[in-house]
Order: sequence, then C-alpha cells, then structure tokens
Amino acid sequence: MRRKVSRVFTTIALAAAAVGMAAAPAFAGNVIDDWASIKTPPAPQLKAVTVDPKTTALLMLDFMNQNCGKRPACVASIPAMKKLLMEARAAKVAVVYSIIAKTTTADVIKDVAPAADEPHVQAGPDKFLNTDLAKILKDKGIQTVIVTGTASNGAVLFTASGAAMRGLKVIVPVDGMSAADPYADLSTAYTFATAPLVSAKSTLTKIDMIKF
Amino acid sequence: MKRGKWLLAFAFTAIIGAGTSQLHAASIVDEWASVKAPPPPPVKEVTLDPKTTALVMADFVNPICSHYPRCMASLPAAKKVLEAARAAKVLVVYTSIPKVPIAAVMPELAPQGDAPFVQAFTDKFLNTDLEKVLKDHGIKTVVMTGVSSNGAIIETSSEAALKGFKVVVALDATSAATTYAEQFVAWQLVNGPVISPNITLTTSDMLKF
Repeated sequence: MRRKVSRVFTTIALAAAAVGMAAAPAFAGNVIDDWASIKTPPAPQLKAVTVDPKTTALLMLDFMNQNCGKRPACVASIPAMKKLLMEARAAKVAVVYSIIAKTTTADVIKDVAPAADEPHVQAGPDKFLNTDLAKILKDKGIQTVIVTGTASNGAVLFTASGAAMRGLKVIVPVDGMSAADPYADLSTAYTFATAPLVSAKSTLTKIDMIKF
Repeated sequence: MKRGKWLLAFAFTAIIGAGTSQLHAASIVDEWASVKAPPPPPVKEVTLDPKTTALVMADFVNPICSHYPRCMASLPAAKKVLEAARAAKVLVVYTSIPKVPIAAVMPELAPQGDAPFVQAFTDKFLNTDLEKVLKDHGIKTVVMTGVSSNGAIIETSSEAALKGFKVVVALDATSAATTYAEQFVAWQLVNGPVISPNITLTTSDMLKF
C-alpha cells in the first residue's frame, strides 16, 4: 500500500517535474494580456555528458538543403555537427536520419550526409508518428538518443519529447539544433530544461561537452 | 618585462579571437539574454460546430492542478468552457496521468455520465484510444483546456494537429507553473512548422459552440 502510494507520487513528480516551481502570479487572465511584462528566466545550465556508444543513437533530423539550407543558424551549425557526426561514427554509435515529405536523403547537406548503411525515416515534426523509428531504436537496443537538427521548435522538440515519452533518455546539444527564429531555439532549450516529463529525461548540453 | 607584456598582448588577442569565433558558432545559451519575446500571437473569436467538436479537459486533477496556483486560477475559465460545451452537447473528454484516476478531477469540473477518459503522460494520444474515441464520434476539432501548457497542452495539441484535427486552445483555461512557459507555448502553437496551420488561439470569452 505504502509502496503503491510512493509509486503514485513518483509518477506525479515525473509528470509535474515543474519548472523549478518558480513563484508565478495566480491571476485569472490570459497570457496575452500579460505578454509584455513576462521576463525571460536565466539560461539553463549545460551539462557535460558521457554516453555509452552501444546503447546510444545520434538522430540527425531534417538537415536537407530545403530545410537547413535556408536557415542561417542551421547552416552555421554544420561544422560542429560534422564533428559530432564523425565522433559518433568513430565510436560506432548508431546514426539515424530523418527527412520530410517530398525530399530524399540525397537532399541532406553534403558535410553531414548519411552513410549507405545509416537508416532514415520520413515524417513531419514528430518522427515517431507513422514511422518505424521506435522499432529501429528498439532493435538496436538504444536507450539514449542525441537529438539534433532543425527546426528546434519542430522536429527536435516533438521527436525528443516523443523519445522521452517512450522511456528513452534524451541528450540535446544546443549548438546542434536550430530554427528560423532564435526565440524558437530559446523556448525549445527551456522546454528540455524545465517542462514536465521531458526535463526529467533530458540533458541539455553542447557538442564539445558530449563524450563517447 | 617587455616579453611579459608581449605575452599578455598575445593572450589578449587570443581571447578576442576565441570570442569572435564563438560569435559565429554561438548557441542559444550564449545569446540567451538578448533574445526578446516576439509580439503576442493573435487570439481569435471562434464558433464551433457542436457535432464535430470535442472538449479536452487535460489533467485537471488533484494533485496536478491543485499543485499549480495558475491552474487553480484557471478553473473559472475552464468551468465556463465546460458548461458552454455541455449546453451544446459537445463531447467532453477527460485526461489524467497514469495511476491518477478520473475520480481525482477537481470537483468544479467533475465529469458527468460516462465521459471518455484517457491516461497518459504529456501526449494523450500515445498508447491510448483517444484518436479512436474522437474518430468514432466524428470529431474534426478539439478544444484544449488544462495543465500544463508546456506538457499536455503542447504535446497533445501538436499530435492532434499532425493527425489532421483542427485545434482550438482556450488560453485562459490553460496554465503552467510559470507565465513564461505559457507565453512561449502560445507562440510555439501558432508558429510551429506543420502544426501551426491547424491551431487557433482563443479565450473562454471568445469561444462559442
């Protein structure tokens, strides 16, 4: 009985792993009315992380010319992403790509293009939805995913949270994700640091701080 | 001495150089303080067809809602939407998280009859029959209310949008631990790639069935 209660509270703590429980005004309006007075909280702490190559996959989301190529922040992330990709391959970490409808893996930017034996899935922003991504990861015994790509507030946000909800650990390097708008990067980084459930499963880091 | 100064100058130049290169590959954490919130997104008057609309009451349970002061403050708005939905015979669906039963719904918003109920973490479609319940009822639009904005609301709204439903989010009937989380979720909902064309923001006063 006591054990059951404690399990219930663990569940609640996970789901409600709340945003540092910062004091927030309890007003009965809507956030649009308060928009201009809302302050940006301090930046989240980035943490160094060492992953087990056998149980980790690097997800390379939507690095096609059509997506990444037209977002300057994504183009700027390519040198660092190339480094991460090379290190992951050297450590024999599984690499999985995604693309969107009406594109092919031949559209992926050359410096970070997939090797012949690296699988890919094709989907909208949630790469688990109607794809075999969950099966690909499970068949490889993956327990941790490093999520990179574009857009931060699209493929990265919804695929990483989908991974967290499927019980995987999530590592997000802030310099490996990008969007058209820096506010999208900021709000996505803050989500991994503080949102219910997702933050309990996620580590926010940067490429130089990931070791295999 | 002279050599010491030269070394110092060299070190200084190296630091500047490092700073410059960091500018090029700056991450959002480096730029954090300079990123300003965009203008507020549009909030619209919405009139929905009761026959093809469902109201989702997400995680208005004790001890989730009761844990967030802003959720407790949102109860009157949520109640207003709930009563309007019931008066129009709109399908009302309740959600909770695993191991917290429907009996834990806040008394003000307690379910009537055999309201559909699903239990999941933040994406209420994942491993539940929510999609089937909605499709069996011919639902094309879901109205989202509940807690938390940066959990159940964004995850369930985005999945609904990706599954082809229209989504209407009643902002004053949703809440998070902080206004900041509510703010960026409001922005993300109507700016996110692929999902945004299917999502509309409204308030309890601007929503009619």
